[in-house]
Amino acid sequence: MKSFFGTTITIATVCIMFVVLVLGVRGLPGNVNIGEMNWKTWIEDGPFETSSDRARFVLTYSFIEEQSTIFSLDAARFAVPDLGMSSSGDYVSLFAPGVSFLVIPGYIVGKFFGASQAGTYAVIMLFAFLNALLLRAIAIRLGAHPIASHMGALAFLFASPAFAYAVALYQHHVSLFLILASLYIAMRWKGVLPAMAVLFLYGVGFVVDNPNAILMLPILLYTAGQFIYIAHKQTSSYITIRFVGALALAGVILPLIFFAWFNNASYGAAFSLPGTFERVVAIDEFGYPTESDITKAQGLSDAEISGKKDEKSVVGFFKTRNLLNGFYIHLISPDRGMINFAPVLFLGIVGLFILYRRQKSIARVLVGICGLTFILYSLWGDPWGGWAFGSRYLIPIYAILGIGVAVALTRFRKNYIFVILFLALFSYSVWVNVSGAITTNLNPPQVEVLALEEVFGTEIKYTHQKNFDALKDNKSKSFVFQTVAKRYMSAATYHRVLVGILIAVMLLSMLYLLFVKRVEIYDEH
Amino acid sequence: MTSINIPITKNMSSRIHAFFEEHGVFLVVFVLSVVSIISFWAYYQNGLGLAYNDARSHLDIGRRVVEGLKPGLAQLGSVWLPLTHLLMAPLIWNDFMWHSGLAGALWSMFGFVGTGVVIYLFLRRLRVGLLGRFVGVAVFAANLNVLYLQSTAMTELLLLFTMTTAAYFIMRWFQDDNIMYLIQGAAWIMLSTLVRYDGWFLLGFAGALVVFYVLFEKGFRPAEGTAVIFFTLGGFGILLWLLWNQLIFKDALYFIFGPYSAKAQQDQIDAAGLLATKGNVWFSAKVYFYALAYNSGALTVLMGFLGAVVLWFSKNLRFPTRISTFVLLAPLFFNILALYLGHSVLYVQGLTGDSLFNVRYGVMLMPSFAIFIGYLVSRAAPARFIIIGLLVFVAFFQFSSGDAVTIDDARVGSSQKNVTEVSAWLAENAADKEGFILVAAASHDAIIFSSGLPMKKFIHEGTGVYWESATESPDRWARWIVMRTYSEEDLTWRLVSRVPGFGAYDKVQSFPFADVYELRPEYLPELNTTPTLGKQK
Repeated sequence: MKSFFGTTITIATVCIMFVVLVLGVRGLPGNVNIGEMNWKTWIEDGPFETSSDRARFVLTYSFIEEQSTIFSLDAARFAVPDLGMSSSGDYVSLFAPGVSFLVIPGYIVGKFFGASQAGTYAVIMLFAFLNALLLRAIAIRLGAHPIASHMGALAFLFASPAFAYAVALYQHHVSLFLILASLYIAMRWKGVLPAMAVLFLYGVGFVVDNPNAILMLPILLYTAGQFIYIAHKQTSSYITIRFVGALALAGVILPLIFFAWFNNASYGAAFSLPGTFERVVAIDEFGYPTESDITKAQGLSDAEISGKKDEKSVVGFFKTRNLLNGFYIHLISPDRGMINFAPVLFLGIVGLFILYRRQKSIARVLVGICGLTFILYSLWGDPWGGWAFGSRYLIPIYAILGIGVAVALTRFRKNYIFVILFLALFSYSVWVNVSGAITTNLNPPQVEVLALEEVFGTEIKYTHQKNFDALKDNKSKSFVFQTVAKRYMSAATYHRVLVGILIAVMLLSMLYLLFVKRVEIYDEH
Repeated sequence: MTSINIPITKNMSSRIHAFFEEHGVFLVVFVLSVVSIISFWAYYQNGLGLAYNDARSHLDIGRRVVEGLKPGLAQLGSVWLPLTHLLMAPLIWNDFMWHSGLAGALWSMFGFVGTGVVIYLFLRRLRVGLLGRFVGVAVFAANLNVLYLQSTAMTELLLLFTMTTAAYFIMRWFQDDNIMYLIQGAAWIMLSTLVRYDGWFLLGFAGALVVFYVLFEKGFRPAEGTAVIFFTLGGFGILLWLLWNQLIFKDALYFIFGPYSAKAQQDQIDAAGLLATKGNVWFSAKVYFYALAYNSGALTVLMGFLGAVVLWFSKNLRFPTRISTFVLLAPLFFNILALYLGHSVLYVQGLTGDSLFNVRYGVMLMPSFAIFIGYLVSRAAPARFIIIGLLVFVAFFQFSSGDAVTIDDARVGSSQKNVTEVSAWLAENAADKEGFILVAAASHDAIIFSSGLPMKKFIHEGTGVYWESATESPDRWARWIVMRTYSEEDLTWRLVSRVPGFGAYDKVQSFPFADVYELRPEYLPELNTTPTLGKQK
């Protein structure tokens, strides 16, 4: 009977997760064309609010509608300021191409139903949904109770800025899918084929977003551990190297071929990274770049220009002196800090400690991914992620802390202080993050606000308060709200409904978990 | 063949371990020496080795002891402590050693290698395994700011060496209660008190720790005896310095209240409203914390403090050992206190305007962080490879992006002084002509150094009668005068602009940091061009 209830709750939760995601997806009806894209309806008031959305969408559009990876002038205008210029003077994408190509099916299906943009965004939503399922599956494999596992998934997906990036066109959920999928494969199966699959995902990860090559390193090392390891015997130890593991390297070839093809087609250089090309910030009426790295460099000395060129190297983006500011921005700042946007996930640290004592090797992988993500994006000169909602770069950390939450809930499910604290923090975090998902990601960094306030002569909000103000003004960019729900309720009510559903699901799950008698976190074999 | 098995017998494993145990110190010396030489060479080649204005001044002070119109020990001056300059003396007579900066950098390099060895030994006494010890040394050595400072004729590395060694011997005394260690600790503190004033604070801080410990453990009499032994030796350098100031400047506290003292400099800055840390302990701590993070790296700071906490709460170490490591935090308290009291000035971009100044003070805790991180790696066994991996990751980006705040401080911060133009003018126009150059070394030592001219070509405030004569009758002694026009802070202007002989000069060049005045040709016959007053003692 209990099992029946448990299965029912799980199925219901998974369905509700999907439905809430659908209710959050941003978009407008209609098949947008290049002429309309620059309209205010689609940009400021619509789903193409950030240059990240625009630049990735326009590559998809260009590839499908214009059969080219090189942008037409209209397409280029739409992509600025995330627009690159190849050495031959063509306007090209400044982003790694993976996401734009992965969303092609969504664009085609959406176009068929008369909503090409919403269809495109829905693909990201699907990745986010898969991430929640993968998170749940990994937590279960690590010994968390299935109900606690989906609670961890709920906390990750809806009580962190991950929700806001599940309903718009960003690379984060695709990257996370590759991380979680490769982690799951590495944990679940051993041998050459699973290792090849991990390397395939690693290659795809690189194509989706170049920093994934670093973030996925712990998984790669964990996988390599099957083929190079130290075996201890009574009188001696052996370093064993299994050459068959080298076959797994074949997995990375296909994605890299695609990447080289794309680079060659776009930039005329197969082995260049998109981000290292000249950036075009604006285009004049004649179609020429008016504000690019080169034009900005005019008037500088040769040494300064040379310095700017150095900064364009891959490592030039990251500086150790940024670390302190990065730590502050990601953790405690009012505009991006995790403590303000997703405090519930701090409880996941408790779960990671538990894992560290019982499952050291996998815990090392999880903490390694967190550490690399946190350090890499703290070294980054723009830890704010431009105009954004919360700290978007920490999405892999939110997911791993979600696993930690599942483990911690399993262990402390009868500890009422922990449970109450969890529910309170979850409610707050969901309240904040649903507001971001259904309104806007366009929150300026605090450092820009002073200058902006001087220009506009008015107070500019930079925390999630801006999203609540949008709700008060009855503004929501949710596709479902704009097409259907706004006839029946205000945006604020829509927000309250979504939050209510999620808290209700969490309460039900918690209630069930309270009656579970005994669950053991597995020891490592 | 699908796999190979490389056997490592326990015997082989223990032999490898024994090899590293036996030769660990030698390996550290060897590797750090190679790194040190390569690093010096790299900064010598790209010209950054002498970017700090202070580095050039230190070299000039050392040079004046052996060469100039009035060579001798009196040239050691009163502001900067003398040990670094004394150590330069045996080498600085050589023009290459002077102008390459090697005469001074050599002691920084020695300090670098020595500090690495002490970190290794310190960790060994804390019963840290080989990996932790080598990680500790690597944390210290693989820092671009440390590598840069060890390649220059600055005082930081020698200070780090003497202070860390003192901390090491004090820890050994806490562990073994052997008075010889306390004496050695005090002797190293004494040396540090002759390098920088940070050492003076260390004397008080470590002394208080030692005396209070003995007081609580053994009572008043032993504490009294320990204090006498410790402070007599540890304070000997300070006593000598006071005596020196009394003998040379007729005021034992001249170094504190003299016109070129740090206090005088800070008073000027304070008057200009630029000493924001004075009287604000929170802001002082914040500024110094930023300097720490910029020099050591925020991750190193974080891990370092974490390691310190792990060490202090470790059940594997005895209480006296744990308490002894507090000495490693002396630079933290000293710098915050100095900023709070207004005795020190430190600018960090973004916090105190848009400039850098003295930000290198943040490097002072590097050996301490290295020791704490080495201990952390040893204790946090399950996480040690993550800790090491993240440190390597950050170090990779520091080296690949060349991100060193000390170099920025030297090149573009307030510590730099680009005197290339004025010194090039002197080299071109004064090298082959007879006659002295009158200049205030306190303001323009960098110009003297960069001109490449011999020290005996210059009449400066340390040349006794030459200075007095030249400032009274410049037209009789100085063919050229280098000074900042209308700047009362420039001693030459203050003295020379008021005397009639100054009318015999034309301003021939104007540069960002100084103007050059040249005696008109009609006055040349009356000019002294040889050191007729002899080498004064």
